[in-house]
Amino acid sequence: MSALEIAERARACLDGGGLARVVHERSSSLRFAANRPTQATAIDDVTVELAVVRGGHVGRAATNRTDRESLARCAERAVTAAELATTAGAGAHPGLRVDAPRPGAGGGSRARESRLHPDGGAAALDTAFSVARAAGLEAHGIWTAGVVDHAVTDGEQAKEERTTDAFFKVICIDASRGRSGYAALAAPSPDGLGVQGLCDEAARKASTDKGAPELELPSGRYPVVFEPAAVGLVLATLGKSAFNGLAHAERRGALVGRLGRQVAAPAVNLADSPSFPRGLPRRFDAEGTAKRPLALIQDGVARAVVHDRRSAALEDTESTGHATVPGGSTHGPLPLNLVLAGGGAADVAELCGTVERGIYVTRLWYANLVHPKETLVTAVTRDGTFLIENGAVTRPLRDLRLTDSLLGMLSRVQALTAGQRLTSEAEFYGRRNPSGVVCPAARVGSVRFTSAAG
Amino acid sequence: MDSAARHAEYADVRFVSSSSERLSTRNGRLDGLDSSESEGIGVRVRRAGAWGFAATRGTERAHAEAALARALELTEGQPRDSGAALAPEPPASGRYESPVERDPFAVSAADKLGLLAAADAGLRTEPNVALTLARFDAVRTHTVFASTEGALCEQRLTECGGGISAVAVDGNESQVRSYPASHGGHVAQAGYEHFLSLDLAGHAPRLAQEAQELLSAPACPHGRTTLILAGEQLGLQIHESIGHAVELDRVLGREASYAGTSFVPAGAIGALRYGSQHVNVTANAADPGGLGSFRWDDEGVEGRAVPIVREGVLTGFLSSRETAAEIGLERSGGCMRAEGFARQPIVRMTNVNLEPGEAGTLDDLIADTQDGLLIETNRSWSIDDRRLQFRFEGEAAWEIKGGQRGRLLRNPSYAGITPEFWGSCDAVCSPSERRLVSLLDCGKGEPGQMMRVSHGSAPARFRGVEVGVA
Repeated sequence: MSALEIAERARACLDGGGLARVVHERSSSLRFAANRPTQATAIDDVTVELAVVRGGHVGRAATNRTDRESLARCAERAVTAAELATTAGAGAHPGLRVDAPRPGAGGGSRARESRLHPDGGAAALDTAFSVARAAGLEAHGIWTAGVVDHAVTDGEQAKEERTTDAFFKVICIDASRGRSGYAALAAPSPDGLGVQGLCDEAARKASTDKGAPELELPSGRYPVVFEPAAVGLVLATLGKSAFNGLAHAERRGALVGRLGRQVAAPAVNLADSPSFPRGLPRRFDAEGTAKRPLALIQDGVARAVVHDRRSAALEDTESTGHATVPGGSTHGPLPLNLVLAGGGAADVAELCGTVERGIYVTRLWYANLVHPKETLVTAVTRDGTFLIENGAVTRPLRDLRLTDSLLGMLSRVQALTAGQRLTSEAEFYGRRNPSGVVCPAARVGSVRFTSAAG
Repeated sequence: MDSAARHAEYADVRFVSSSSERLSTRNGRLDGLDSSESEGIGVRVRRAGAWGFAATRGTERAHAEAALARALELTEGQPRDSGAALAPEPPASGRYESPVERDPFAVSAADKLGLLAAADAGLRTEPNVALTLARFDAVRTHTVFASTEGALCEQRLTECGGGISAVAVDGNESQVRSYPASHGGHVAQAGYEHFLSLDLAGHAPRLAQEAQELLSAPACPHGRTTLILAGEQLGLQIHESIGHAVELDRVLGREASYAGTSFVPAGAIGALRYGSQHVNVTANAADPGGLGSFRWDDEGVEGRAVPIVREGVLTGFLSSRETAAEIGLERSGGCMRAEGFARQPIVRMTNVNLEPGEAGTLDDLIADTQDGLLIETNRSWSIDDRRLQFRFEGEAAWEIKGGQRGRLLRNPSYAGITPEFWGSCDAVCSPSERRLVSLLDCGKGEPGQMMRVSHGSAPARFRGVEVGVA
């Protein structure tokens, strides 16, 4: 039974208006540590969500059972919830409606399911172990690939798409010296991962010491060259906070009163681009609203926040197609296809070229917002932090804690590489909802580090 | 299992059925009334040292056979490795149901909504409060576990709780206060009686007042001072800087790919000074009400109390059968847990508790402190991938001067290095002050798994802590 057929069966259980959404995940993941496979996971699961609106209130229920009886029970729970909610007075939700499909809408991709066979991952693991052993290192990481069928219907309109995604991450560790190097890439298909290159990159970082021990830098402000993985985390964190239309509508957002104003350097052009070919394309959101390219920052000027139907109603505007849950998540809508336009630098070496003394950051870890309105974030560097001296990477650094404003850092962007990478941590908690940020490496003129870490 | 035994040196299967109900209000309106249910089978096999795990939502024999075949296929696809033996464990047998006085799923949603609405109204009593949230949360998990070693056990665990928050905004300043904890409130392994005992409406006006007051409160000063941690903030401190650091899979490098490693070496039992003599930590899977409590873990090991730190010295790890065997422990610590049927069990925390001391009540501890800060509720946290250097922010702090709780301070933060910080602990309050706090969103593993845990503690005092680090 296809995802759409399940959605239609579920929707038929609802009396009156309502929306059914189905997500069917099939995925394989192979984890490895210290040149050994450690966990292999195959998942085949379906989630059916039913959402109804009564008197401006949303009732929702979910199940992974697809027989008619279970779907009928699920529908009854959703309707009961919405009707109960009406006892609390009038709600503000504008209702759920799948908009008409756009002719020729792009996005999604046809799966090559044979690639889900674990053999594909086993070859990647073999490559990682071989590269690591040759360099006297341990390889740790994950290979994962998934095929997800999405369907949504309100009984009149229906949409479906199949998305595929793949992710490979390798961290090479020199256990004797406590050094590590990271490389990772997400792609719409395992074919696009370039495993050998990633393994070489991670091994090179773990081995780059120029004969020098790790240096500990004092706290302070430094120019920084961020690899795409670090830029991606900065942008994803910003996406969850500053560009969240619900936080904006509730006056908690960092862009309240700042739309139309300069919030970043003129080189910064950030959009949510759901059909960007090197991203993880999506055609519609959890409410069936068509996704379209949306400029968020244009030449450094804040242009928009993202909305689902609920947050849009609060702002008296239209949904931008960013619902993550039918009816709207309590956390608000999210931009899940962020793309930061590349700049003019040929590569990271060119970004480092003008830095007299600064820091090269491969990735950031454990980023949490301290003050959302100020976009103040704290995070630590990890798996490849180096000193830049006189225009070149010279020696490894002890990891550092970064505490700075996300928008502040974007306002101090000096240069971007032309090349971009699809970054993701593949943190698919719950159902697989692949997302990533396509972004270049960046040089930021001044970033605040508050202590050593690690 | 008969079929699995013919093909694998070890196999286990879990049937897991989960139900949840969540109600929340937002600014006085119902924000969400969500219910969900899922069920399925997870089959884990070990062949020639390689693990394979396959999950399927079906519950018929054919589904289980298909999952077994897929799990075996996964082991075939992996580079070969002999792997470590599994620590021996007597086969689990029996049934268990966590205590519930009043089934939260049997209480009408209208009743729950009424309580949330009353609490939400109590929060909307100050002019600058822009967002109010009230939440009810109930989860029931039914698990049947069997293994090729003859284990067959069944348990049903019920969790219930909730919380409230008020966000006050004035221009660019935003402050939040939550009760009884941030990040989802307080949930316990209990029935509806626990939700009622929280008395959310009774605490709402105070919370709104504090959120309003914080907008113009003085900022937390920068410097080194005495810090008293209590409630959720102390629980999170235990969680991040002790709980995760003593997970044996991290210690052995198995989580380097994602969550990270640990500064604690595998051979540190009996040798590593983790904290002062006042620091005694136990991982207790039999703690009544704890979200890390169970009769058996997800590989059939009986839950029990494992000493982790005694008088400041490391005495144990959170372990699985495989990791325990790898460092020569006689038995697993019983810490394998999985989120639902579709995730492979990994080493997770049980209830990692700081044992009470002899410092009396919180008021006694404050009275015994000349200068310092008290922080109870967490706002933000971050710690490095070795669990060594951390930085936390609280929602609010109270200044302590001359043994008295003084004015409210906004944006309190502190930072430290794990063993130095726990080494600076010079007092822990007495058993009468012990409380459990819950953490509802502990992420780990690939594919990602969320886990719920609790931490028991009584307020504790730390000397010479760097504060005001924002």
